[in-house]
Amino acid sequence: MAMMPKRIKFRKSQKGRVRPRASRGNTVAYGEFGLQSLGSGHLTARQIEAGRVTASHFLHREGRVYIRVFPHKPVSRKPLETRMGKGKGETDHYAAIVHEGTVLYEIGGVPEDVARRALALVAHKMPFRCRFVTRRHAV
Amino acid sequence: MEIVTIEAQPRAERGTSAARRLRKSGRVPGIIYGHGETPERVAVSAHDFAVALEHGAHLLELRMGGASRRVLIKDVQYDHLNARPVHVDFMRVNLDERVTVSVPLELRGTPVGIHEGGILEQDMVDLEVSCLVTEIPEAIRVSVAEMKLGDLMHVRDVPLPPGVIAVSPGEAIVCSVRARKAAEAEVQAAEEPQAPEVIGRREKTEEDEEEDKKKS
Repeated sequence: MAMMPKRIKFRKSQKGRVRPRASRGNTVAYGEFGLQSLGSGHLTARQIEAGRVTASHFLHREGRVYIRVFPHKPVSRKPLETRMGKGKGETDHYAAIVHEGTVLYEIGGVPEDVARRALALVAHKMPFRCRFVTRRHAV
Repeated sequence: MEIVTIEAQPRAERGTSAARRLRKSGRVPGIIYGHGETPERVAVSAHDFAVALEHGAHLLELRMGGASRRVLIKDVQYDHLNARPVHVDFMRVNLDERVTVSVPLELRGTPVGIHEGGILEQDMVDLEVSCLVTEIPEAIRVSVAEMKLGDLMHVRDVPLPPGVIAVSPGEAIVCSVRARKAAEAEVQAAEEPQAPEVIGRREKTEEDEEEDKKKS
């Protein structure tokens, strides 16, 4: 099931512009390996779900998959063959805002080569270029 | 612990543009502070510093001109991709000083609980410890071979080398062997996706609809 918020303050939101660079959420925090976005934009709930299914299918329930983004933003769309005007369209789907550097997924509890192959498959489902990252130790 | 020596140059310029120029020329801006002395702005070679970090160095000897300074890597700031260091904080230290540093935790062995259908989850990857500057351990190795399904390992259970004290709270969990999650995903998939509840908006009752009709 695609993710969506349980409660929202406003049914629709303005389009906005995505800031390019991530200032948070850009480190591997829960697992040992992660998939980092090298682009910015919206990641829809369906795309997030597609990535999750791919990773968990590949891992055969070994290890653990963490999803680091959540689709908070309602994206509205007008119905087909509708004239312009008459107000904003209804919410079509929810999307996560992704910046360059945002860690999208993390995997823990499996060897690096397995995590690499799993996240390579997930990267194919993403609308951005992505790279494999490993957890960094603190100084 | 081995002390790595790297070259450093004093930097007179400050600010974003000067720092950017330094980074373009293959150096990382940094600052040395501590011991109540005046802070010094320095620049170190990005390559040498990255190599030192990769080898888990905490203690460095910065050679500046004729003099050298013994410093501890206190903090490193990275760029938005968390790939390249953009700034380093060095703290002056004496070799007889006690310092607080983060040391990697390495889990050794395969827990018994894995054969019982569990998975090993590492909740803590670095342990904050207090020790003498000369006795900073490279890593703290813990054997998890005897952990059974449902077992937890706390910070207080971690064996530490002599002279090293854990700063992280004793009750914090280092790792655990947990049962695999049941197929929750399939159960969730059967549920129909519902629209989110709008905070502060109550649902329309029949009375409200009648009132709307009267108004119109």
